[in-house]
Amino acid sequence: MTTVSDVNTHPQPLNTGFQPDGLGARLRRRYFRTPGNAMISLVGMAALLYLVYHALDWAVLKAVWASPDGTSAVCRDIAGACWAVIQQRWRIIIFGLFPYDEQWRSMLACIAMVATIVLSCLPWFWKPLRLSTLWCAGFITFYVLMRGGLFGMRVVMPADWGGLTLTVFFYAAGVLIGMPMAVALALLRRSEMPLVSRMTGALIDGVRSLPLITILFTAALIFPFVLPDWLQGDKIWRVIIGFALFFAAYQAEIIRSGIQSIPVGQEEAAKALGLSYWHRTGRIILPQAFRNALPPTINQLVITFKETSLIVIIGFFDILASGNAAYGTGEWSFAYFEVYIFVALVYFVFVFSLSRYGAYLERRMRFGQH
Amino acid sequence: MSIKSTLVAALAGTVLLSVTPAHAEFGDTLKKVKERGALACTGHNGSYMGLAEVDDKGNWKGFDIDLCRAVSTAIFGTWEGHVDIKPTSWAQRWPSLQSGELDLVIKSSGWTFSRDTEIRAQFAQPYMMAAIHYMVRKDLNITSAKDLDGGTLCLPTGTTMERYAVEHEAQNGYKLNVVPFEKTEEANAAFLAGRCDAMMEWDLQLGVLRATEAKNPDEFVILPDVLSAEPVGIVMRQGDDNWVDIANWVQTALLLAEQAGVTSENVDEMKANPPTPAIGKLLGATPGMGAPLGLNDDWGYNVIKTVGNYSQIWDRNIGKDSPYKVERGVNALMKNGGILYPLVLD
Repeated sequence: MTTVSDVNTHPQPLNTGFQPDGLGARLRRRYFRTPGNAMISLVGMAALLYLVYHALDWAVLKAVWASPDGTSAVCRDIAGACWAVIQQRWRIIIFGLFPYDEQWRSMLACIAMVATIVLSCLPWFWKPLRLSTLWCAGFITFYVLMRGGLFGMRVVMPADWGGLTLTVFFYAAGVLIGMPMAVALALLRRSEMPLVSRMTGALIDGVRSLPLITILFTAALIFPFVLPDWLQGDKIWRVIIGFALFFAAYQAEIIRSGIQSIPVGQEEAAKALGLSYWHRTGRIILPQAFRNALPPTINQLVITFKETSLIVIIGFFDILASGNAAYGTGEWSFAYFEVYIFVALVYFVFVFSLSRYGAYLERRMRFGQH
Repeated sequence: MSIKSTLVAALAGTVLLSVTPAHAEFGDTLKKVKERGALACTGHNGSYMGLAEVDDKGNWKGFDIDLCRAVSTAIFGTWEGHVDIKPTSWAQRWPSLQSGELDLVIKSSGWTFSRDTEIRAQFAQPYMMAAIHYMVRKDLNITSAKDLDGGTLCLPTGTTMERYAVEHEAQNGYKLNVVPFEKTEEANAAFLAGRCDAMMEWDLQLGVLRATEAKNPDEFVILPDVLSAEPVGIVMRQGDDNWVDIANWVQTALLLAEQAGVTSENVDEMKANPPTPAIGKLLGATPGMGAPLGLNDDWGYNVIKTVGNYSQIWDRNIGKDSPYKVERGVNALMKNGGILYPLVLD
C-alpha cells in the first residue's frame, strides 16, 4: 500500500534515485515496503483470494449452466449457481410478456434503440440535423417493430411490451424528451422577467419535492379521471412524460449550475458584440454550461436509468418485474439469486458504459482547454 | 415557500376532487367488453405464485388467470384472443378498476368493509377462502393444532397472525411458545431450518414456501385446522348488476360442474345426456341460461370445455398437479365438508 507521505504531501515526486522498473519492484515498493505493510497486504490478499475463490466456486466451478429437459431437476442438490434458470427463462427477462413468436421484433427493436443511443454518442452525429434524423429514425424503427400493424406484423399494444426492451425504450424516451425540457426550464428560470423565472422556479421545486413514484402513479392512474379521452393517449406515453418531467426538473438545475459557473463577463462581452439571445445562448453559454455540468449530468443519467425500475409499481413489465416473473414459478423460484445477478449484470453493462462514456467526454472536452 | 405550498395543496385538492369513481350503468360493462372484443383483467407485475405466473413462453397461468379466462370464455365462447391480462400492481388495482382500464379485478383480493364502501367496489360471491393454517414437520406425527401444545411457533412480529394464533389457542385449549422474528423471511427460514415446531400463514403461501424453499417438500405438512380465513372474491365497479350476475353465475357454473362431476373431458357426453335438468340447462342442452345474462345459451358448456370445472382449475394451478399441493380444505364443496357451493339453477 502506498503510504500517505509519498503521495499527498509532495506534489512533485522526489527524485530518490529509484528506477521505475519491473512489476516485481513496483509491487515490492507499494505493498511490501515495511514488515507491517507486508502483513496488511498479505492478510488483505488472502481475504480477497478467499472471497474470489468462493464466488468463483459458486458461480462457475460448481454451477449448472443448462437444463437438458427444461425443468429444474438438474439443479437439485448442487452447491453452485443454477444458471439453467437463465438458459430457460432469459426470454422472459429480456422480452417480458411480448408474444413468444414475435419476440424477434422486440429483439431488433431493442438493438435499434441501443444502436441509436450508441451512435448519438459519436461526435460525428453532434449536428442538430444529424442527431434529430438519427433519433427520429431510431424511434420510428423501434415503434414500428414493437407496435406492429405495418408490413403484416401483428399489433402488440404497449401494455404487452416488457423486459429489457421496455426499460431501454422508457429510458431513452424519458431522457430524450426530458433533456430539451431541462434546457428550457434552466433558461426560463434565469429569465429576466420575474414572473417567468418565479413560475419556472416554483415548477422545478414543486416537481422536485414530489416523489417520482407519486408522479408516475398520478400520470398512469389519476389522469384518466381528470383528462378528457382525446388527451389521454396511451398509458405508456403519459408515464414517459411524467418521467421526463421529473428528470427535467433535476437536470434543469444541473444545467443552471453549469450556466452560473461561466464568468458573467462572457455573456456581457457577447452582448457588447451585438450577438442575439439565441446566438449567445446556443453558441457561447450552453456549450460551456454542458461542459461544466458534465459530471453531474452523467450522474443524473445513471440515476435515471436505475429509476426506470419504479414503473413496476404501475404495472409495467420492466426488466426487474420480468426478472421477478422469470423466477416466480414453482419450478424456478429457488433461483431468484441467479436471476437478480443476471439483471444486475444487465444494469451494470448499461450504467458502466454510461460512466466510461462520461469519462471519455470529459477528456475530449478538456482537450484544448489547458 | 408559502406560494409553493398553497399551489401544491390546490393541485392535490383538484386531483382528489376529480377522482370520483366512475359509476357503471346496468349492462354497461358487458357492452363495452363486447365492443372492445376483449376482457381486461388483472395479472401481476411480476409473478404471484399459483395465482398469476408466467410460463416459459411468456404466457400467463394460474388460478386467478383461469378465472379471468372463464369469464372471457362465457362472453366470447373462447378466451384466446379475447382476454387482455394487464400486469397490475397491488396499489394500482382499485384506481385502474375505477378508471375503466380493468373490467374485473381477480387478484386474491379480500372482501373488506372499506373496499366495499369507500372505494365503491362490488364483490361477487367469494370464490375462495384465504385460510390461515399451521404448517409442521411431518416427523412430529401430529394431525391437529391441539397436538402442538407446548411447542414453538415461528412468527413475524406485528402482524395479525399472532392474534389469530392466540385466539385459536384460547378457544381450543392449547398453548404455543412464540419465537418472534423481525421479518417474515426470517421467520420462514428459521422454521425451515428446524428452529420451531410450527409456522402459520395462508395455506397457499405455505404451499408455495414448502414447494420452493424447503430442501425436501415432503418433510412438511399443513394441518387442517383453520385459524382464520379471509373471503376472496372477483371485484367489479359498483352499479352494474348484470356484470355482477355474470361473475356470480360463471363461478356457479364452475362449482356446479364440479358437484355434478362434469369435467372438460366428459362435458360433450354430459351435454348429450344430461344427468339432471340443471346440468342440461347449464351446458346449453336446454335453453334459458344465456339471454337473461346477455350471453349465449351454451356459455356454460364453453367455460367447462375450455377452462374446466373448479376442481380442475384448483388442481392444475395450486392443488395436487401443481408444485404447491394445496389441499382443498375449507375450499372444498359443501358436500365434501367445505364451504363452497353453487347457486341454485332452477
